[in-house]
Amino acid sequence: MTTPAIPEGVKRCSTGKFALGLAVAGAVLLWGVYAMFLVWYKGLNQTGMDNAYGFALWIWADLAIIAFGGGAFFSGFLTYIIGRKELKSIINYAVIIGVICYSSALLILGLDVGQPLRGWFIFWHANVHSMLTEVAFCLSLYLGVLVIEFIPVVLENPKLDRFRFIHHFSHNMHEVMAVFAATGVFLSFFHQGSLGGVAGVLYGRPFSFREGLLIWPWTFFLFTWSAAAVGPCVTVLITWLTEKIAGKKLVKQEIFRMLGKISGWMLLTYMIAKIADTWYWAAVTAPSKGFALMDFYTNNPIYGIWILIAELVVCGLVPALILISRKGRENNFLLAGAMILAVIGIGINRWVMILQVMAAPLLPFQDWYMYMPTWQEIATTILPIAYGTILIMLAYRYLPIFPQEKELNPGS
Amino acid sequence: MTKQEQHTSTKRYGMVIDLDRCTGCGACMVACYAENNVPFSKDESDKMLTLNWIRVFKVDNGKPFPDTEICYIPKPCMQCDGEHMDGHSPCVSVCPAVATDYDHLTGIVSQIYTRCFGCRYCMAACPYHARKFNWWDPVWPAEMEKYLNPDVSVRMRGVVEKCSFCYHRYQKARNKAYLEGRDEVYEDEYQPACVEACPTKAITFGDLLNPEHQVYKLSKSRKAFRLLEKLNTNPKVYYMTSKKWVRRKTDNYIENESPGETRNSSKTQKASH
Amino acid sequence: MKIDRRCFLSFVIGGALGTALTPVPWKLTDDIAIWTQNWPWTPVPEEGPSIYKKSVCTICSGGGCGINVRTIKGQAKKIEGQPDYPVNRGSICPLGISATQHLYGPSRIQSPLKRAGKRGEGRWEKISWDEAISTVSEKLSALRNQKKPHTVTCIAGSDRGTVAYLLERFLTAYGSPNFIRALSSFDAYELAFSLTQGQQGTLGYDLANSDFIVSFGAELMDGWGTAGQMFSLYPGNGKKSNLVQVEPRLSDTAAMANQWIAAKPGTESALALGIAHVIVRDNLYNKNFINNHCFGFEDWEDKNGKAHQGYRSLLRQYPPAKVAETTGIDKGTIESLARGFARAKRPVAIGGRGGHLASGGLDEALAVQALNALVGNINQPGGVVVVPEPDYLSWSEMKTDKTASEGLRQPRIDEAGTDKFPNTRFLLNRIPEAINRAKGESPIQALLVTGGNPLYTMPNTEAAKKAFDKIPFIASFSTYMDETAQHADILLPNHHFLERYEDVPTPAGTPTRVIGLTRPVVKPRFDTLHIGDVIIRIAGSLGGFIGQAFPWKNYQEFLKQTLSKQWETLEKQGYWVDSEFIPPRWARAFNTPSGKYEFYPQERNNPSGKDTDALPGFRPADLPGNPDKMPLTLLPYSSIRIAGGAVANPPFMTKTVDADVIRNNDIFVELNPGTAKKLGFSEGDAAILKTPAGEARVRIHLFEGLMPGLVAMPTGLGRNAFSSYIAGKGANVNALLADIAEPGSGLNKAWASRASLVKA
Ligand SMILES: Nc1nc2c(c(=O)[nH]1)N[C@H]1C(S)=C(S)[C@@H](COP(=O)(O)OP(=O)(O)OC[C@H]3O[C@@H](n4cnc5c(=O)[nH]c(N)nc54)[C@H](O)[C@@H]3O)O[C@H]1N2
Ligand SMILES: Nc1nc2c(c(=O)[nH]1)N[C@H]1C(S)=C(S)[C@@H](COP(=O)(O)OP(=O)(O)OC[C@H]3O[C@@H](n4cnc5c(=O)[nH]c(N)nc54)[C@H](O)[C@@H]3O)O[C@H]1N2
Ligand code: SF4
Ligand code: SF4
Ligand code: SF4
Ligand code: SF4
Ligand code: SF4
Ligand SMILES: [Mo]
Repeated sequence: MTTPAIPEGVKRCSTGKFALGLAVAGAVLLWGVYAMFLVWYKGLNQTGMDNAYGFALWIWADLAIIAFGGGAFFSGFLTYIIGRKELKSIINYAVIIGVICYSSALLILGLDVGQPLRGWFIFWHANVHSMLTEVAFCLSLYLGVLVIEFIPVVLENPKLDRFRFIHHFSHNMHEVMAVFAATGVFLSFFHQGSLGGVAGVLYGRPFSFREGLLIWPWTFFLFTWSAAAVGPCVTVLITWLTEKIAGKKLVKQEIFRMLGKISGWMLLTYMIAKIADTWYWAAVTAPSKGFALMDFYTNNPIYGIWILIAELVVCGLVPALILISRKGRENNFLLAGAMILAVIGIGINRWVMILQVMAAPLLPFQDWYMYMPTWQEIATTILPIAYGTILIMLAYRYLPIFPQEKELNPGS
Repeated sequence: MTKQEQHTSTKRYGMVIDLDRCTGCGACMVACYAENNVPFSKDESDKMLTLNWIRVFKVDNGKPFPDTEICYIPKPCMQCDGEHMDGHSPCVSVCPAVATDYDHLTGIVSQIYTRCFGCRYCMAACPYHARKFNWWDPVWPAEMEKYLNPDVSVRMRGVVEKCSFCYHRYQKARNKAYLEGRDEVYEDEYQPACVEACPTKAITFGDLLNPEHQVYKLSKSRKAFRLLEKLNTNPKVYYMTSKKWVRRKTDNYIENESPGETRNSSKTQKASH
Repeated sequence: MKIDRRCFLSFVIGGALGTALTPVPWKLTDDIAIWTQNWPWTPVPEEGPSIYKKSVCTICSGGGCGINVRTIKGQAKKIEGQPDYPVNRGSICPLGISATQHLYGPSRIQSPLKRAGKRGEGRWEKISWDEAISTVSEKLSALRNQKKPHTVTCIAGSDRGTVAYLLERFLTAYGSPNFIRALSSFDAYELAFSLTQGQQGTLGYDLANSDFIVSFGAELMDGWGTAGQMFSLYPGNGKKSNLVQVEPRLSDTAAMANQWIAAKPGTESALALGIAHVIVRDNLYNKNFINNHCFGFEDWEDKNGKAHQGYRSLLRQYPPAKVAETTGIDKGTIESLARGFARAKRPVAIGGRGGHLASGGLDEALAVQALNALVGNINQPGGVVVVPEPDYLSWSEMKTDKTASEGLRQPRIDEAGTDKFPNTRFLLNRIPEAINRAKGESPIQALLVTGGNPLYTMPNTEAAKKAFDKIPFIASFSTYMDETAQHADILLPNHHFLERYEDVPTPAGTPTRVIGLTRPVVKPRFDTLHIGDVIIRIAGSLGGFIGQAFPWKNYQEFLKQTLSKQWETLEKQGYWVDSEFIPPRWARAFNTPSGKYEFYPQERNNPSGKDTDALPGFRPADLPGNPDKMPLTLLPYSSIRIAGGAVANPPFMTKTVDADVIRNNDIFVELNPGTAKKLGFSEGDAAILKTPAGEARVRIHLFEGLMPGLVAMPTGLGRNAFSSYIAGKGANVNALLADIAEPGSGLNKAWASRASLVKA
């Protein structure tokens, strides 16, 4: 008798429907791969970047995607270190989302450098003073950790699990997982932070420059904190979306609410710190460099003051308040809405910390720098979504990701 | 400054550009292209995509005809000494691969093209837009490769480049001094291409620490200032002008603040070792 | 098999270490590192010892800066100024620095070529030098046989130096009076000098020693004269020169000046006369010079007892109040400018405004020169001198045959020196009209073009091109595939100036007498030939007296022989300064009918016979076009970052041009923001610029420094030849300008054009 590829006791859609889904995602993926090929073959002239925009859509995508992937480390932290065992029902999925986010981030970094074949110089000739070095090291190591966390899940596929060696191997891995999770949390803490440091240390760029603690600018801590706040939201939102598409419950609702509550408090505390930081920056740091707050927001087509209000209030304080209130969390619509806003808010934060930094003129005789991504940049930024979708489809179909699935769907 | 300090081998090479003498002719730019093998393309009109190690900006006082005035501001790499005058220039401290470095003997910020992998973090860090990226493979049509200068390596696509204060000219001068058994490189032995080419002699170059060099005095003049001085980047490129409105165009001032108030303590030129 | 933790860990770690210990990953990364650092398509310049070679740059039409060329293994690497060269003292302009790009670039004509397709189509057939020379000789010989030697015309970039003399000598021996020098902003000034002082030569302004310079539109810092020289002189090299710039646009010169006076364009002569009015009224003029060495200052009587008005009386028509109205300049400004000028120790007034093709033409030149006379700075330190033609070019008299003598007796085709324009020497701008006017065949049957690019630089370029189309035979000696070469029938490419010998006599504007030596710093790269050699060979194959007039083996031998006195010095230091040249004292300086400086130029061609038409005056140009339909005035301006003459901007220079002058292939015209608002334009808008001569697609750039009502357009863009790196950028302003002959002189007085701008 052949072992089925699909985990025992769960129902999955027909092969045809699955193949169709794969084909759609695969088409988008191919488009992205084509753009990726163009960029590697012809160089970065395929992008809308220029000498004013050394960093643009891709770096934003990197920062955002890693913040969004923050669900993995923060859930890991809650599960293994704080000991919230109930989160085991979602941790596998959080890990998979993490793997997707981090591998995508590295892929985009591989695209974003002018000499990809020399990319490893960052390790070989490492400059310990550079935030980007810290990012590269932590990111690669953490991706390694995530893969290690992911492997036992893969090995649980019934077809693989049949082999004794694999069975024992994955069993062993499970046993040491807490060690990896702890390492992962540590690494994550640093690279989320160093991503914040990337813009925060730029003392020649008053828009993003922040003072801080020892060698770390405040953005270092703000980034870690905000990723922890918004990462679980992303995990929840994706799980939700998966449920909607699969048409069944996969994780208990209270898990979502619990994560929502944690996110809410994280977000609120983050917002307090962020507002304090913004105030100090606007009142002390920027003026010391000759800039008034409104110098950074007026007289340009897109970076109006609205962007600051959107980030801090509409997508910051508002969702935080919804998430910390029981009423808000118990209303599914509000819960989802608040999480979406929170995710957008952090997206905006990463956007301004990269793109607005490049846009704002420094010399008084220069004007705002504008930037428009090319389709190649957009396609390669969408590529991870297609790739993630495919990976999720495969994982969901063939791996026992959701321990509560059988319990929640008794009929099937 | 004592006699002894004068003869330390530590130098801080710098420039003083007299904006009242600069006519905006562009000879400095062209000389730099020719000296440093800067490539060109058919359409150079998108100034954010072109390679220029020094660019001359035209600024005006914003007044209507006929009270309009214009001034040209040539802008090479400022060779920043960094916040604490210790070589942590904005760009050097961020480069993850040590592809750009601060030479503590000369104060010159170098760029190692073969090590740069093109992450452009340094460009993001440089407030002066002094750094340029090679968006294309360089092409010299017809026989133009023949005029390339062997002292300066040709850059490839995908790496960042910038003004080096014509470091190769320093190396030559130093080697010559060494062969002649001298410690000191004379002032006129090491002059960058743009300085030499400036037909109105608007640019002066030398060791900011050496009282015998012209830049020493000029950089201390009351008319001297630097671009975006308040960012604490500590540039070694100084400017001079007697026009107040020009001063206002070179740094940011919040309301009621006027140029001159903000000269910071970094003006005392310390050497870093 | 049961795996315990130890086994598991050793499996993982062992695997990783095992791979790392094999040479494979290390070798691969090393290879990658090396490979990515030496892309095979990135050139590696050849090393070798540097040798600096002295020469003289002649790439611009004002040319003549001493240069040091760094060469390595015989290749030119970099061009730098020659610090001791008496003209430019080490300063050179960006065009000179970029000359290596033209030397090695794709615009070079690499061998003699014969047209294969239609004219201007760009299809060529490679031919040998023998064939090229015999083609030209046969054509010329045929024309002589038909007794039409005078229909051969030569357009040259310069009328000085050995190459120009060879050309003139050739035409003389051959039998044509039609040697024509390309247009120059100095045309009007040279004419003014010959009329008022009776001297031929180049104009020298001793700016280094002047303490008050009034420039009537001469853009000293934007490429006027020999740019390298102007830069070396100003700003002052430490000295403070008091420069006043009169110009409707805030040029780089105006920006550097101590005072910028924006007179309405075309009213400069009125301003000059207004200044003179104040100087004379207030008795501030130089009494010694005026009383003893001038003619026509006061009213005078001629031989026949007829009374004539003098300069002093003329000036009564130009009181400051009236001049203020004409020029738009404040009365007080005129008064104080006049006093400042007259009271300065060494003041000098310079004309040479833009548009070049003259302006108020001769009138303006005379009005400005009169200021120099008023303060007596002629042939004085800090003043103005006429540097006579070089005297080294004196060779054996030659014999001419009957055909030649008859040809030489024919009137010049450009009418210069004829009864119509008796004082003027060259009138290139009259050529298209002469061709179009002729009934039957073209009065020019063969055209030789050398050192000029008329089909780019002539006003109303399209009309000129149509006229040229009627010329049956055009030969170009151009080094580059320029607009004129592209329209020729046969190309006999000259060496690039970095590949050849040539003498460079005193460049325009230089107050001393200098000869520079252009020397080959690299071996000729292509199958080109020195134009001097080509002339000698053509003469030889025509034979007879023509051949006898050219007894030299080749150009180099001829050059050495000609410059035998100076050759050693020239070889050694690259230049020769005539230490014997001292500007003559006033008593001996003037070769006019009166032997004095003539405020009233008695020899000026004055068809109307009225005194006011002989004296300098303000006569506004009647520009073509309906002012209601074309309410704007198009003003060409030059930028030192754009080569405006025959040789196009090399890529390096175009690289320095800002994005509000040229973006992609669009040219920007400047407009005062007020004017733009009235017309409904904002920054960057596309528009069609129309003039009576043509139209062009442009974009708008707002510039406060431009007088309202004007449209300023840079010269030097809109090339359609050279190479794909040069052609196709913007529009050629010359094509939009008209040509109006100034009565009496024939100089073009259309310094600008009426224009309109409509949204595109
Ligand atoms: N409307 C308008 N018309 C103008 C002008 C303007 O600004 N506006 N400018 C006017 C002025 S002032 C001038 S001087 C003319 C210039 O116009 P031209 O007299 O036509 O140009 P040149 O620069 O004298 O000549 C350059 C040509 O000579 C060749 N050449 C380059 N170097 C040398 C050399 O050393 N020797 C020789 N024999 N040939 C060489 C090149 O092939 C090139 O084709 O244009 C005039 N026309
Ligand atoms: N780079 C470069 N330099 C050159 C040359 C070159 O080809 N390239 N050519 C050389 C030669 S041959 C010459 S003759 C000189 C020419 O040099 P200049 O005589 O200085 O002529 P432009 O610089 O063309 O024009 C001067 C300015 O006069 C202004 N103008 C126009 N019309 C009027 C008017 O009616 N009144 C007044 N007051 N001003 C007016 C315009 O603003 C224009 O920009 O340049 C020489 N230098
Ligand atoms: S100007 Fe820019 S590139 Fe130059 S040293 Fe300063 S930060 Fe670095
Ligand atoms: S682009 Fe090159 S020089 Fe700049 S930071 Fe990156 S590796 Fe360093
Ligand atoms: S110092 Fe050298 S490298 Fe720097 S701008 Fe000048 S010429 Fe270029
Ligand atoms: S070369 Fe000199 S005058 Fe010309 S733009 Fe440069 S600094 Fe200014
Ligand atoms: S002004 Fe003319 S001759 Fe002098 S360097 Fe420039 S192009 Fe050459
Ligand atoms: Mo000229």
